[in-house]
Order: sequence, then C-alpha cells, then structure tokens
Amino acid sequence: MGATGSILQLCNLTRRVGEGTPARAIVDDVSYSFDSGRLYSIIGPSGAGKSSLLRLLNRLDESTNGYVKFEGSDTREFSPCELRQRVGYLFQTPHLFDRTVRDNIVYAQPDLSESKINRLIQQVQLPSGIVDAPVDNLSVGERQRVALARLLATQPEVALLDEPTAALDPANTEAIERLIGSVVKDCGVTVIIVSHSPQQVVRLGGEAILMVEGKLIEHGDALQLVKNPGTPQGRRYMNGELQ
Amino acid sequence: MTTPGLTEVLLAAIMVVIAIAVARYWRLPVIKDMAFGSVRAFVQLVAVGYAVRFIFDIESPWLIMLALGIMMTVGAHAAAGRVKDIKGSFSICLMSMMIGSLITLATMLVFKIISFDARYIIPLAGMVIGNSMNASALVIDRLASDLRGNRLAIETALALGKSWREASQKFHRDAARTGMVAILNFLKTVGIVALPGAMTGMILAGADPVEAVLLQIIVAYMLLAATTITSVVAVELTIRRFFTRHHQLRIDR
Ligand SMILES: Nc1ncnc2c1ncn2[C@@H]1O[C@H](COP(=O)(O)OP(=O)(O)O)[C@@H](O)[C@H]1O
Ligand SMILES: [Mg+2]
Repeated sequence: MGATGSILQLCNLTRRVGEGTPARAIVDDVSYSFDSGRLYSIIGPSGAGKSSLLRLLNRLDESTNGYVKFEGSDTREFSPCELRQRVGYLFQTPHLFDRTVRDNIVYAQPDLSESKINRLIQQVQLPSGIVDAPVDNLSVGERQRVALARLLATQPEVALLDEPTAALDPANTEAIERLIGSVVKDCGVTVIIVSHSPQQVVRLGGEAILMVEGKLIEHGDALQLVKNPGTPQGRRYMNGELQ
Repeated sequence: MTTPGLTEVLLAAIMVVIAIAVARYWRLPVIKDMAFGSVRAFVQLVAVGYAVRFIFDIESPWLIMLALGIMMTVGAHAAAGRVKDIKGSFSICLMSMMIGSLITLATMLVFKIISFDARYIIPLAGMVIGNSMNASALVIDRLASDLRGNRLAIETALALGKSWREASQKFHRDAARTGMVAILNFLKTVGIVALPGAMTGMILAGADPVEAVLLQIIVAYMLLAATTITSVVAVELTIRRFFTRHHQLRIDR
C-alpha cells in the first residue's frame, strides 16, 4: 500500500468570493501536503471553509490564488473529468440519481462488470439483493453507502468526504467510520474527510487539520490535536467556544 | 360586413365600454389597464399599419431588412425583459430568434414558397419572430431555473467525472421542449378548437377558405421550424453561461 510520499500538495491555496476589494477569502492561503494512503480529518467551526477547501481539491471550484498539485503535477494540467475520477468527492448530502442502486454505480463507471458491482456492494456492507432496488426505497444510511460505492467505482486514489456521517444515527456513523478506515487500509486510498466532531476525529485517528475562517490553524496527530491543541484558537475550538 | 373604416372602429369601442362596465361592477382592479391598453393598441396598430403600407409602397429590399431588424431587436428586448435575472439574456434572445427566424424565412425563399415581397415577408416574419420570441424566453427561463434548482444533481455528475454537457443533458431536453410546447399544442388543436389568425384573416378578407387553409398549413410548418431552431439555439447559448471551460457549475449564491 503505497505510502509513497505526497499525493496532494496545496500551495498558498486561496479562494475569494463576492464583491468587496479584496473579496472575502473563504479559503485563505492554505499550504499543506497530503501523503498517499493515509487518513486525514479536517475540522473547524461551521463556515470555516472546510467544504470550500475540498471543492478546490477536485477542481469543482477554481482557486483565486495558489495551486494544488496531484501526484506532482498542477491539477490544472489534468482534464477536470479525469482528475475528478481519480480524486473522488462525496457531498455532504449525497444525491442519488433517480433509478436503481446498480444504475447509480454504473453511471460512474459504465464498463463495470457484474462481479465488480457486487464487490463494491459488499465493500460498503450493503445486502447483495439491493442492487436492483430503486434508490428512493433506501434509508439514509443505505443511501450514504450507495454514494460511497459509486465514488469507489472509478477506483479513485483520493476520496474527499464532506461530513459523511452528519445525517446518520450513532450505529450507522460507527459503521461508516469503520468502512472509511478499511478503504484506507485495504485499498490504499487517501481519504480526506471533513468532520463536525472532535470525538469522531479521535475515533478515526490519522492526521487532523484545524481550519478557522478560511485559514489552516494547526495540524498534527488526530488525538494530539484534539486533546492538546497547540494554538489559542485550537483550544477555544476544542472547548466548544467557536461554533 | 364591409371593409372596416374609422367609423366601424369607433363603434367597436362600445365593446371596450362594455368590458370596462363589467369590470367596474365586479370591482376588478384592471380598469386602468383596460382603458390604457385599448388606447395603446389603437395607436400601435395604426402606426404599424401606416409603416407597413409605407414599406409596401416603397418595396425596397433594404427597407424590408431594416423592418426585420427592428422587429427582432424589439422582440429580443421584450423576451429578455421576461428573464431579467440571467446575464446576457438580450444577446441570447436576439441570437436564437435571429437564427431560428432567418433560417426559416431563407428556406421559404430558397424553395420559392414565397417571394421576396414585403407583402409576404413582413407578416410572415411577424408571426415567426413573435413565436420565436416566446420560445426563447420560455427556454431560458426554464433552463436557468432547472439548473439553479438541481445544483446538487449536476455537481454530483461533475464530481463523478462527467462533462458539463452530460451533467446537464436532461435539463437541455426539458428546456427545449418547453419552448416548443405552444406550437405542438397548436398543431394538435388547430382547426378543431380554434381557427388561427392567418386563416381567419384571409377568410374575413374574402378569400376562399381552402386557400386560406393552405396558407395556414405553411405558416404552421414555418412556426414549427422556427421555434424548434430558436429553442435549441437558446439552450446552447444559455447553458454555456452556467458552466466554465473547466466543467464547473457557475451559479452565484
Ligand atoms: N460561492 C460562494 N459564494 C459566496 N460565499 C460562499 C460561497 N461558497 C462558500 N461561501 C461561504 O464561505 C464560507 C465557508 O463555507 P463552507 O466552505 O461551506 O464552510 P464549512 O464547510 O466549513 O462549514 C461560508 O461563510 C459560506 O457562506
Ligand atoms: Mg461544509
């Protein structure tokens, strides 16, 4: 499983939106390097720019300043479509197309064999009989798993997950967390997950990154960062003073 | 009935009086609009009548072109006014109406279905442009609201590596069809539920009903072609305002 150094490199990454001069930076001069095959959690108060940062990594949005390198090359050198198949993205409230589970998975990867479809279904811990079910019969937890299977269908090297458990009950949350862990360990996928809860970050382990007001405030080992933050803002956030 | 003169028109104003009386009795809040609209229609139509007569008298191709240009610009302005919240809607309307109307009129001329006489071009262009105008406004409005309302679905497709065209395909088709609904319904009900204007006009003016019908069929086919082309062009121009070259959805929050 390739712990082969940096897979995504962010250099002074900035995104400004709106009218003012200078316009407001919702992602503000973020530099960081994600290593291949590891798990990263991004935490921070709501509105900190976590989702906005993720959207820059697969180029759903354009940066105003700075750049992202994927496997050593500027992401702007890739075709956006290829980049997005290799850097998968899961929206906070995933959208399933109004057909069956199979249709949703095949949509992402049209030449997928039946056995690969079944493997994906298994991997996200869905019952195999579910492939031909229409998606509107599924529970929230099942929908989240289908979206995850669909994302994995293109065999991405990186998976960007935006608060994948925000709408789930504790049992489903725990199951999805374990599933994410196995995606990293067994498939060697680099996972970058946005989380709303420091407890979850501790459970997930790996590296953690704290964002506040568009800026990367601090980063480090997940447990260390949550239990013993090294910055005043980190302490205030962990104490629940920043929402 | 004789060919109407000013006396008949003034007598016909009795119907405006009746309508206003009814509205007044029922306290409909439209009395001002009714009075103003009736006067305005009178002025506009009389002015147009003299303008068209002038064009017929001169019979200059340049004047016909000028008239077409003015009709399209005014039409595009009216259509764009109905979709104000889309940037560049005037140029989308103008382009799509021009392409739809001109291809249709040019085809009619090339196949010598009509000749380049003001008497044919001006009224037919009026109908074609009027229908294209409605089509372009409907298409832009529908497409823009579909794209804004389905942001998550579209970005989900983009995030799976689909091109902007694939990601929004379903909405192109729905929007184009919206622009064509009026003419499709017209084709279904024409002659049964309603007698269309061109035909009615010819019959009133004393033409043979079968001749009038033949002309109406030609007009219907023209309108079908013009609205279809206008709708498709309007979709193609509108969709590009909503995506960047890099397959990013561009919707301001
Ligand atoms: N396209 C945009 N236009 C204007 N403001 C935006 C846009 N995208 C995000 N924002 C703003 O940027 C801030 C960060 O948003 P977001 O990245 O969603 O935060 P988080 O995911 O950390 O809660 C919010 O204040 C949000 O309203
Ligand atoms: Mg968010």
